[in-house]
Amino acid sequence: MAVSFVILTNNPLVRDRYAGQYSVEYQEGGYMDLLVRVRDKVHAGHKLLTHPLSGSVKPNETPYKSVMISQKRGTMDLGSLSVIEEAITACRKFPVRYEGLPQRVLEDFQLVDFTLIDSAIPSASAF
Amino acid sequence: MKLEMGYINIHDIQFSNESKVENGVLYVDQDAVKKLVLEDENIKSVTLDIAHPGESVRITPVKDVIEPRVKVEGPGGIFPGVIAKVDTVGSGKTYALKGMAVVTAGKIVGFQEGIIDMSGPGADYTPFSKLHNLVMVCEPVEGLAQHDYERAVRFAGFKVAVYLGELARNLTPDETKVFETYGVKEGIEKFPNLPRVAYVHMLQSQGLLHDTYVYGVDAKRTLTTILNPTEVMDGAIVSGNCVSACDKNTTYHHLNNPVVHDLFEQHGKTLNYVCNIITNENVYLADKQRSSDWSAKLCRLLDLDGVIVSQEGFGNPDTDLIMNTKKIEAVGVKTTIITDEYAGQDGKSQSLADADPAADAVVTGGNANMVIHLPKMDKVIGMLDYVDVIAGGHEGSLKEDGTIEAELQVITGATNEMGFNKLSAR
Repeated sequence: MAVSFVILTNNPLVRDRYAGQYSVEYQEGGYMDLLVRVRDKVHAGHKLLTHPLSGSVKPNETPYKSVMISQKRGTMDLGSLSVIEEAITACRKFPVRYEGLPQRVLEDFQLVDFTLIDSAIPSASAF
Repeated sequence: MKLEMGYINIHDIQFSNESKVENGVLYVDQDAVKKLVLEDENIKSVTLDIAHPGESVRITPVKDVIEPRVKVEGPGGIFPGVIAKVDTVGSGKTYALKGMAVVTAGKIVGFQEGIIDMSGPGADYTPFSKLHNLVMVCEPVEGLAQHDYERAVRFAGFKVAVYLGELARNLTPDETKVFETYGVKEGIEKFPNLPRVAYVHMLQSQGLLHDTYVYGVDAKRTLTTILNPTEVMDGAIVSGNCVSACDKNTTYHHLNNPVVHDLFEQHGKTLNYVCNIITNENVYLADKQRSSDWSAKLCRLLDLDGVIVSQEGFGNPDTDLIMNTKKIEAVGVKTTIITDEYAGQDGKSQSLADADPAADAVVTGGNANMVIHLPKMDKVIGMLDYVDVIAGGHEGSLKEDGTIEAELQVITGATNEMGFNKLSAR
């Protein structure tokens, strides 16, 4: 089975757990930075495969976000664009609250973000 | 399918050397309950406490709230596929202990949330302040992974609820109610002139601390399907959702789903309540498409006239909510949706992360971003360690004097998206 997705993430746990297994593009930065990167990829013709606001931990309460996009590029997908734009608008409502968090809390946020993206793997690998 | 519910009113909980229900008082043998909980080798210790309405008590971080029930007649048992065998439930006779709940608490991860204040302004926002609560704070064994700890606490709550429910098996209920829905043809013949209405119930299904189980199956790995409404009264759906306290559906909410309750109130009078359609809220977008396609397909197949759609959570589920609504409306079935809002602290921002003109009938559970002030309570059950980093809290939320300034989303059940709450614009 050809793995045809790329995971964009700012979560070091996702980077490390998937190393050598899936295609992961890791870049440090905040929650909003990651969403903007996803939007850039959508502009470039990648399709969004997972919801950018996955998880009930609110944007900017957690610093971490991982989003799956298609490896292939085509013409810009308007559905993907609409979802990522709405996500960016929603994210702006939430002030950044993750600065200065203790390491243990950061690690728990990493774990939850990892399980959210990990829940998409069986679906993404199904066909 | 027909279920008789017997309600046994509980007006007090006391610790005793014997567990029993007598004259509306639940007596709890602490040792017996602890022994039951500690059967799970992943739990190192459990502390039991009782919180009554009106007391100066704060319970946090709340994981789940569960109403004890017992299956008295008919197939299966409470929490099928989880505690009882997987037989189909929802028929026969079930007793519930009303006016009380089992509350599980514990810091599974470092940003845990969920506050129940038993008095003061915070109490007005949560339905659970009106109950007598048996609170269990479970501590894990050293080094236990978060997944396993969450599961252990979840099961401990269900086991204790079933243990307490069993005490009611031979009692005479204070009140009895019968709930019945019919097969498709039978329903049309019985109520030929009433609109056919179903409840599209969206289940949280995203990952650790974000899961729901149907007959023991993780809802992520299910396709949209049909339930008899009475099945939920026997615990066919249980919560594994511990994040976003204000709008997570606890197991108590699933057992006492107000949409189910109110549809039954109108069943045979103004509408024909056909069934529940359960669907998920996965993170993978193709799953969303499949699940919402199936919701619409089932609505059409059942020749429904209208549905109520409730969602659980924020952001990702908003997309499922709108996809369900658009597609169900497109097959000619009217929708009314129930949600809550994240409209910013001033209430001026767009409430949901998705929208569509087809979603033109909306009931809101309130604005979860609204800032509230909670006074100090004399007693805390659980721990306040993480109030500063819980959803809706922030650095400095927990003041030195014990008061809390945070968003409404810290309070368990405050903006529940089944409508099991008291907030109103009136």
